[in-house]
Amino acid sequence: MRVAGFYVAGVDAGSTYTKAALVDDEGNLVATAILMTGVKIVEAARKVYAEVLRQTGVTEDRVKFLVGTGYGRYNITFGHLQVTEISCHAKGAHYLFPNTRTVLDMGGQDTKAIRINERGEVIDFCMNDKCAAGTGRFIEGAAKVLGLSLKEVGELSLKGKKPVKISSTCAVFAETETMEQLAWGNSVEDVLYGVHVSMATRSIGLLRRVGIVPELTFTGGVSQNVGMVKALEEQLNMKINTSPLTMYCGAIGAALFGLEKLRAAQEVKVKR
Amino acid sequence: MASQEAAEQRLTAEEAGLDNAKRLQGELVKSYYKWVVETKKRGGKVAYCFVMANPAELLRVFNIAPIYPEITSLQISYRGGAPPLISLSEEFGYSTDCCGYVKMGVATVLNKGQTSIGYIPPPDMAMLTYSGCQIYIHWWEQYQYLNKTPLFTVDIPYVRNYDGHVARHDIKYVAAQLEELIPKLEQFTGVRYDEEKLKEYITLSKEAWELWKRCLHMGRLKPSPLDAYFEAIYYMSAITLIRGTEECINFYKTLLQELRRRYEENIGPTPEEKFRLVFEGVPNYPFFKRFWNLFKSWNARCVASTYPKVAGIVDVDAFELNPDKPIESIAEYMIHAYCNWNMLMRTDLIRRYVKEYEADGVVIHSIKSCRSFSMGHGDIREYLIKDLDVPALHIESDHVDPRYYAEAQLKNRVDAFFEALSIRKGV
Ligand code: SF4
Repeated sequence: MRVAGFYVAGVDAGSTYTKAALVDDEGNLVATAILMTGVKIVEAARKVYAEVLRQTGVTEDRVKFLVGTGYGRYNITFGHLQVTEISCHAKGAHYLFPNTRTVLDMGGQDTKAIRINERGEVIDFCMNDKCAAGTGRFIEGAAKVLGLSLKEVGELSLKGKKPVKISSTCAVFAETETMEQLAWGNSVEDVLYGVHVSMATRSIGLLRRVGIVPELTFTGGVSQNVGMVKALEEQLNMKINTSPLTMYCGAIGAALFGLEKLRAAQEVKVKR
Repeated sequence: MASQEAAEQRLTAEEAGLDNAKRLQGELVKSYYKWVVETKKRGGKVAYCFVMANPAELLRVFNIAPIYPEITSLQISYRGGAPPLISLSEEFGYSTDCCGYVKMGVATVLNKGQTSIGYIPPPDMAMLTYSGCQIYIHWWEQYQYLNKTPLFTVDIPYVRNYDGHVARHDIKYVAAQLEELIPKLEQFTGVRYDEEKLKEYITLSKEAWELWKRCLHMGRLKPSPLDAYFEAIYYMSAITLIRGTEECINFYKTLLQELRRRYEENIGPTPEEKFRLVFEGVPNYPFFKRFWNLFKSWNARCVASTYPKVAGIVDVDAFELNPDKPIESIAEYMIHAYCNWNMLMRTDLIRRYVKEYEADGVVIHSIKSCRSFSMGHGDIREYLIKDLDVPALHIESDHVDPRYYAEAQLKNRVDAFFEALSIRKGV
């Protein structure tokens, strides 16, 4: 790793996971880390931040700016600025895939469709209603009932042949809905295929509201779920961008906002 | 971005002592309720009325004092008193999906008028002006049933032409119902109809409307001296509750003066005016100040909005009271109730506001309770963004039921909206 003059960090305190990203003074991503959020938001944020420092050996005094994002952003009191995860996911997705014009962020309790411009700035966004229907929670519920991990749920769904129709994507009824479908004699694979298809349909509805302009980048925790990626691609009939880093988009975007802030401040100084 | 940088702080209107109209409004509401109670004591009648499309001036001729259950509900809710009333109505049999105003309004009579904001006299009659909202009919029938009151109905045809044109026969239809109402009210109250009195009340009303209109137009100024949504919601009380009186005229004279002074001294509801917004939709009353703060904290001022015009869309001259044609002009006024306008007219009004008030964006707040206000909100959002390239934010809660207010989620959306607006405006 190049030794940079300074670093900026982003911490994304989400409802399920807290993520951190460290970016150097030239805007290169140098480290990421993730942890369960739990009930102690600040503690999780501090820990995950310490983790990116540990990985890179960068000392805290060389981190010149820290931006908090996610639902817990106002709890990240050791940061300098808070930015919503909507703006951060936009920026992060644009960083990883510069041709991104539409972002779908699927997290633990909400799903967001974001339209961005060529600079990664938000033009428009839409989120699911206040309820968690159609969000990551639904998949979690289905996984729980089947005693599977989230990874397994996605993989198994790929083996499904005919998706079972799931009409309710209410997160609270995820377990009963899944059990009922199994009781009807459907295979686990088909039920899971159906779960992913119905969630994809819901998010596509959200995406249509902002307009689907390629490229589409899929971010957030659920972007790591292969079943979801497949269901989306099938229904949209287009390729979508994902990578192991897309779940860190919020934190990456946050760090980049920090870098912009610092650069803007320096420009002001130079002008003066 | 919610930066913690402290901007050099200008004083807000409140801090600068230029916020007296709101205090006056509070007093005015109290004295209005007193007046209703006194009218009743002196042998007058109490009519339950809707804010939209009511013939207040005509009722006054018969010594009838109006109570607006919608306003009573929002007043109670503003002070945190909604939950027990909503529960009472739900226990009584209303579904959670039913409008919160209805549930609170019914619970108030179930409690014999005893409320957390004082005594609200029960109805002697229910004046049903059916405009726009389907639920009105059943709500007023509930009063008829519970309080054994007579129900007087005026059916108001929806404005069906997209350009807002109202056919002569529609006006005649409403005017004829008002003519029919007169002998019935004479019989019910024992008071003789006096057209001169009606003309006098209309003249007074007209003057108040005119002044209110001038106050609202001040949102066009840059910076706007008022928040034409959050503050206008306080200011609209007078025109709703006491129009047709000198007091009402005086209130708007005071307000106009105050707003002029604010403008001269470059003072407004927020320290600065960073964003100019148009606001569509009913507010959240249980958390009104916190809800306002979501926007205030970004130094945003609403420069125009639709909701404060539910008592009359006076700022765009949708109607004009005319003492020489009292009944007919009231009929016209009643037809032009906001929720009685078709969606294209409503959308176009918002477009006009954005243009004429030079707004940066539009905030649309849907409420779970109300279809007549919230229908079409998704389409309005899309029209603004896709056809007009006007940034728009669509959020949701409820007007009275605190169970539907999720501040963290609202804040997230509002903040993201302003973050994008900041970049767009380069501020
Ligand atoms: S549904 Fe809407 S218009 Fe009808 S009573 Fe409720 S708030 Fe008023």
